[in-house]
Amino acid sequence: MNELDDGPKADGRRQLPLLQPADAGPSRFKRSGVRSRHLRAHVLVAGWAGLALLAATAQGTLPVARWLAVHLFLLGAATTAIVVWTEHFAVAMLHAGLPDQRLGAVRLAGVNLSVAGVLTGVWAELPVLTVTACAGLVAAVTAHLFVLVRMGRGALGGRLAPIAAYYRTAAAALVVGAVLGGLLATGAAGAHGQSGLRLAHIHVTLLGWIGLPVLGTLFMLWPTVLGVRMHEATTTTARRVLVCTGGGLAVAVTGLAADLRWAAVAGLAAYAAGLAVTARLLTATVRRGRSPVSVAAAWSLAASAAWLVAGVAFDLVLLATRSETAAQDGVDALVPLILLGFVAQVLVGALTYLLPIVLSSGPKERAGLRAVLERGWAPRLAALDLAVALLVLPLPAPAATAGTVLAAAAALSFLVLVVAVLGHRGRPDEPSRTPVLLGTAAAVVVTVLAVLVAGSGGTGGGSDVAAGQGGGGVATTTRTVAVSLGNMRITPSRIEVAKGTALRLKVTNRDAQRHDLKIDGGPATALLSDGRSRTLDLGTVTADRKGWCTVPGHRAAGMTLDIVVKGGTGSGATGTDDMAGMDGMHSGAHGRSGDSTGSTPGTGPDLAAGFSHGWQPRSAALPAAPVATVHKVELHAVRRTVEVAPGVKQEMWTFGGTAPGPTLRGKVGDVFEVTLVNDDPTMGHGIDFHAGSLAPDKPMRTIQPGERLVYRFRADRSGAWLYHCSTMPMLQHIGNGMYGAVIIDPPGLAKADHEYVLVSSELFLGTPGSTAQVAKMRQDTPDAWMFNGVAAQYDKAPLSVRAGDRVRFWVVAAGPNDGIAFHVVGTVFDTVYKEGAYLLRPGGAGGSQALDLSAAQGGFVETVFPGAGHYAFVDHDMRHAEAGAHGVVEVR
Amino acid sequence: MGVGLWSLVRFLHVTGAVLWVGGQLALSLVVLPLSRRMLAAKDRDAFAARVGRRFGILTGALFLPVQLGTGWAIAWHKGVTWASLGEPGYGRVLATKLGLFALVMLAAAAHGWAHARHRPDLARALAVASLVGSLGVVLLATALPAT
Repeated sequence: MNELDDGPKADGRRQLPLLQPADAGPSRFKRSGVRSRHLRAHVLVAGWAGLALLAATAQGTLPVARWLAVHLFLLGAATTAIVVWTEHFAVAMLHAGLPDQRLGAVRLAGVNLSVAGVLTGVWAELPVLTVTACAGLVAAVTAHLFVLVRMGRGALGGRLAPIAAYYRTAAAALVVGAVLGGLLATGAAGAHGQSGLRLAHIHVTLLGWIGLPVLGTLFMLWPTVLGVRMHEATTTTARRVLVCTGGGLAVAVTGLAADLRWAAVAGLAAYAAGLAVTARLLTATVRRGRSPVSVAAAWSLAASAAWLVAGVAFDLVLLATRSETAAQDGVDALVPLILLGFVAQVLVGALTYLLPIVLSSGPKERAGLRAVLERGWAPRLAALDLAVALLVLPLPAPAATAGTVLAAAAALSFLVLVVAVLGHRGRPDEPSRTPVLLGTAAAVVVTVLAVLVAGSGGTGGGSDVAAGQGGGGVATTTRTVAVSLGNMRITPSRIEVAKGTALRLKVTNRDAQRHDLKIDGGPATALLSDGRSRTLDLGTVTADRKGWCTVPGHRAAGMTLDIVVKGGTGSGATGTDDMAGMDGMHSGAHGRSGDSTGSTPGTGPDLAAGFSHGWQPRSAALPAAPVATVHKVELHAVRRTVEVAPGVKQEMWTFGGTAPGPTLRGKVGDVFEVTLVNDDPTMGHGIDFHAGSLAPDKPMRTIQPGERLVYRFRADRSGAWLYHCSTMPMLQHIGNGMYGAVIIDPPGLAKADHEYVLVSSELFLGTPGSTAQVAKMRQDTPDAWMFNGVAAQYDKAPLSVRAGDRVRFWVVAAGPNDGIAFHVVGTVFDTVYKEGAYLLRPGGAGGSQALDLSAAQGGFVETVFPGAGHYAFVDHDMRHAEAGAHGVVEVR
Repeated sequence: MGVGLWSLVRFLHVTGAVLWVGGQLALSLVVLPLSRRMLAAKDRDAFAARVGRRFGILTGALFLPVQLGTGWAIAWHKGVTWASLGEPGYGRVLATKLGLFALVMLAAAAHGWAHARHRPDLARALAVASLVGSLGVVLLATALPAT
């Protein structure tokens, strides 16, 4: 028996000792050692592939299943196969000594255990396990790389020695890919780097770790399978192609990770050029005639190479012509092409040819095994390639379903054949292993399905029971909350509901990336692409729940949702039980104290974050009153999207494009003539100036889109006054930004070195007017508190004065619900003017610490800053101060 | 809580499972491989057949009645109702466990049948499936919350 029978005797000598290590003698012991090693490795490959198929069937119900299916197949099956075969071929092509087999087994076990760890870590959301396993994978692959490098030293080398360099480059690529994958899976990449790193990860693993070894092996395997002489140019071509593909890939991946689009495109173009050169050489080989050793293997390999070329070409076009997010979607759509068309098919082709060789002990047995593996190859090949075409082309949904079914059928049938070959009787007296493998596989499949069924629907049984009991006495209210996914956040990130509320979430993805929302122990949406919506029915909520996006890494990057149950304040509408009412009050009070935790950085807007580039603070400086006694102003009611907290944009309803609207200032007796123009095409608005007194009926009426209204009033009395939209529901109109201040100086107002006006208000994030946002207004659970319409803006842009300066702060509380206790840390007020009267004037012995204003009240305080330093001015209601009602006076 | 009547019932249920799963494992991993190595072909088949028959009788006469009886009692004690079997959580895990157990019993019975019909490969596949499936039953049992 000679293992080389299949190899062409091209250049006169014993060519292509590919399938036996150089020093593996004819000894039966060694022979069976090699065989049992391959047997074990390929049982693993088949096992991973089977699990991948299983995960693929669960794609519809478990969003993480898509990730699992892809990684079970590529990281489990393909990686195991590549580790085994690259080592095997490297030994053969370098004419090197066989590396220590025990260490080889350890490496393979290391790779597989790490892969299992990564998959479990991501599936069960154990970041520590994911990171540890990623590190393990990097270590195992580095060891593999080390063995490949050491094998090259002192080895005899040969014509095909350059191919081993492909394997080394590939191992390096997997190290990079694993590190990138670890960053992605743990969310360490952050929201902004995510898409670039993801593209880099996909490219380096698919084109590097899987593409390069396949490419290198094809130089040798293709002529062998065809049974023809290797092309004379193979050695030099292989060397050149590696420079193109390996080098190009390095540039492309760096470009993708660093967001340098042109570099990525250039690198990928070099990779494509390398592929083209290889394709030409392999095509030239075909023309050399003779019947192939394995027609089935040849066709599979050819088809897979064709898909690789097509995939890289599409990819190149996508990266060159589309925006990053569009390219991301496009690349995602290419995954089935690469995964099934290229990787799965190359495995089918290579294993059809190679497995019989490594598992058999003679030509007859080999032919028998090959016949098994080639059974029905033509329909299987056709089904797989048709499936890839159906999945990749933009066809209606049934086509994709048909493609999935076809692909699964093709993959499953080959898997069964592989199991049959792996389980075949090595010696006649040995019992067949096939029944054991099939029995195990069947039971594992059934058990996994059973576990999935058992775990479906969450474990909320206990709380459901509680809900049933609670629902008996109290009327249940139903709330629908709009939730949007995007920019690595779930908005709103916190939903507060009264205990016993039936909660529904209308989840919409507003991101180019796909996201989903899973409620802990509750329902989950499917993966939603941009603009898609799903409604999740959570049933009656009686306990706090958590939700998150299950796409690996997104939860860690910040895509989390807290559903917080407040006491029965909203549910007891029909309740007559006094105790229930007491309970509601009690937990209502408790709930308010909970607000502060809800709005501290981390759950509300992140106030420590930076504002967007180009953001300008609203000047708090208040110019002196104009000399004129008639003030004419035109105010347009418009919607504007503005930055209301660091990095947080919100659509506001405004007077004059800003919230608060412009501050008007005058003296007692001045006349204000305000022209209100409603430029909001969707709703009516009105205006109400507290500074004037007149019958509300006409001047405060609501005007419809496009209409104008002149509002004329004389300011008969001094004070710090509020103006606001007078259209119902005013809670929403004021809560969304339609308010401002009118300052009427008291007669004889002393001069101050600086005058500032601060309008305090609450911030309610979310789509204006949506159920979720209005609920927050009704329950008075704002996302932040603001001075002059932006949370924490004067922390970022402090007010600047000199030591010894007298500073006057005009303060108006716009609400809509909360007042303010205005305090400047480190100072004492010597003047307090509140609601038209001085409470304190300089010269007396008394001092003041805070100006207390209810919603819609105003006044001013004065203080002299004693020395240089940073003085915080706050709403001394600390819930408000810690959630945005905070600024700094910088005293030089 | 001390050792009471219900601990005894649970003890019987767990011990029954241990004996059945453990017995299968011991047979497949220890006894039958050794018999293949140490006995002549004729003896071996007869031995395997006797072992299978005895284990089958044990299963049908002792193990199944004990498991079903104690299992029923525990479910009654816990207040499990037919309706609750469909609910997510305890009910659904228990229902799938029962379903898988039924499949395992079917595989075990089919193993005996295949053996009798001289279909050794099928019999072996079914035996292995039954063994792996019963491990799955144990896995699901551990997923049932305690008490």
